[in-house]
Amino acid sequence: MTTAKKIVKKIHVEESDLLCKNGCGYYGNVAWQGFCSKCYREVYQNAKQAQMEHDAAREGKLQQKPVGLDVVVPLFSKFEEKKTQQTNKRSHTVRSIFRKTSSKDVQSDQAPVRKEPYQVNVETQQARSELMESLKQLKRPASQDFIKCTQSIIERLFQCSDQGNSGQEMSEHTQDFYQGMVERMSTNLLYKEVSAELSETLLDRAEKFMMVKMYGSTFCPPTTDDEQKDLKIQTQIRNLHWVTAQQLDTPINEQDPQVRNLVDQAITEIIEMNSKKAPQDKLSSIVQCSKNIFEMLQLSKSGPTNADDFLPALIYIVLKANPPLLQSNIQYITRFSNPMRLMSGEAGYFFTNLCCAVAFIENITAESLSLSQEEFDRYMSGEALPPHAGNKYMCEGLRLMYENLKTFAELQLRQEKVMSEALQLQQDMKEFKESFKREVQNVLQRTPLIIKPRKMKVQIDADSDILEELPPPLLPQLVVAQTVAIADGNLVQNDG
Amino acid sequence: MSKIDAKVVLLGKAHVGKTCLVNRYIRGTFDSTVPYQNTIGAAFGSKKETVNGKSIILGIWDTAGHERYESMVKLYYRGAMAAILCFDLTDKTSFDRVRFWAGELRQMEKGCKLFLCGTKKDLVDYDAYKREITVKTAKPLADDLQAALFETSSKSGENIEQLFQSVAKYCLQKTEEDERKQHGEEDRIRLGREKSYLLNRRCIRIPKCL
Repeated sequence: MTTAKKIVKKIHVEESDLLCKNGCGYYGNVAWQGFCSKCYREVYQNAKQAQMEHDAAREGKLQQKPVGLDVVVPLFSKFEEKKTQQTNKRSHTVRSIFRKTSSKDVQSDQAPVRKEPYQVNVETQQARSELMESLKQLKRPASQDFIKCTQSIIERLFQCSDQGNSGQEMSEHTQDFYQGMVERMSTNLLYKEVSAELSETLLDRAEKFMMVKMYGSTFCPPTTDDEQKDLKIQTQIRNLHWVTAQQLDTPINEQDPQVRNLVDQAITEIIEMNSKKAPQDKLSSIVQCSKNIFEMLQLSKSGPTNADDFLPALIYIVLKANPPLLQSNIQYITRFSNPMRLMSGEAGYFFTNLCCAVAFIENITAESLSLSQEEFDRYMSGEALPPHAGNKYMCEGLRLMYENLKTFAELQLRQEKVMSEALQLQQDMKEFKESFKREVQNVLQRTPLIIKPRKMKVQIDADSDILEELPPPLLPQLVVAQTVAIADGNLVQNDG
Repeated sequence: MSKIDAKVVLLGKAHVGKTCLVNRYIRGTFDSTVPYQNTIGAAFGSKKETVNGKSIILGIWDTAGHERYESMVKLYYRGAMAAILCFDLTDKTSFDRVRFWAGELRQMEKGCKLFLCGTKKDLVDYDAYKREITVKTAKPLADDLQAALFETSSKSGENIEQLFQSVAKYCLQKTEEDERKQHGEEDRIRLGREKSYLLNRRCIRIPKCL
């Protein structure tokens, strides 16, 4: 049904192009700038307009290109699609023969045609390999079918961006793809054996792959007013720099360094959202930011955290962070994310909260901050600052300075302590020296040095009087068995 | 489809006990003695509910009840399958808010089924004089909206399970109905063109994403 419409539309468009621009009823030709040969001659063969003709010819060439592609490529791919379907219908043996040839055709014909001019970056490569990884779990016909569908949606998106179509149209195509794939995988026989989880991951990865690939033309397309909106919200947030946590009624207690840390983390996360490409990655940044907010609420408040606290806190974080291209990111996610993700699950919930926060900031009034109109106007124009705005935790530089001062004070204390301890040590050493000396003195006094007379050296060999008193040296004896020798009154008994 | 996710929004004035209701349902806890609830992400909860052997995942979206955020609440209930309108049985003004939300929802989200829920039933049971909203007051509104009316207590857990069971039951029915409708259409087309597999509606749909 829809295809038929598309083809008709294409032919129709072409037909109007084919007719002579002059409206003479004959067919025109691109080579003749859309005129029929007669009118073309009339209009252009004139020698005076030789220059104009040259310019127009150049223009004509430029126009010619996208028209030609947009007719040929989809027709060809549709032909391929039909061909495989036909083959799939046939019996197994025939199918296998046909499938191989057709798949080769698809890969060799489609891949190089469009992919070359676009730079393949690392992220695309990664998303692609992830997709291929999960496709491996599929059986061949199913995986080929899946690849084909993904390729064709990318093809279509490229066409849209080439033709300068509105973002809305691209978004519709993408949403159609998601819906069509879910339906296809739940009903088509090819996907009969595919589990629900696998088809979910497949779709998820396909989404990631194609969105990363198409990021340049799908994010903040020039045909939309996303950019103006971005600028508008950015200036609005800048004008609201004076809004404090108290005015928003959030219990965030920024005096607590731990909370302060979490605030910084949340701000980083939400700013990082802009650097992610796939919608799901952007959403996960939002989720991470929200989790940090819950943690900081938990820390600064004694009680259950709930939506009543969360939304103001998120608004506060968005005001503090002023995330780049905020509206573009939100629009991008709304347009190109799988709608299932936004309608259910916590990512959807937090995303909705972010939308609410942005809506609140856009339509902020004196009333919503519980200020009088006069006060609000004065703050907005920068004439005055609210009493709490000047507090030291408002400005990052000042906060850092105060923190540094605190650290310095601590350091000074420690320095002093070290100094006094060093002095103490010096004193101790001195005292130790003194006392050591004293001790030595004491010992010296207690045990005075008495020099005893020197001992005389004994001459062993010298004769002395004592020698006289000594018994005479023993004399060698001749010992005979059974005899008792008595020498000098000594009795020596030999037992034999 | 094997997995059914339903979006259920909680609406009501601040301090009627929306968060407690979710907490009671999701975690089965109510802390009146301990003010701390060491859970992160209390604003969103999801729980699997089984009705007649079929399971459904209820994702419950808590909303900020403060009036200053009222204009944004429509972002929350967009595409919701069911909405639970909470009011405090001991607070007449909260019931007036319910009337307001009911009007909003009727206008903006026609496909959204409403459930009325009077909270803090335990307080009323304990002291009947505290009751400001009687069944007599609430019932006509509920009938008018074709909404089921529940009186719950997050403290005792009374009627909480019943409330969410009926929400789940409704959501399942609705999903099945929708699917049947869709299939009905498909069948009609398939019957007419049964001869050729190629002409099946699904096959025509594919090139759309080409």
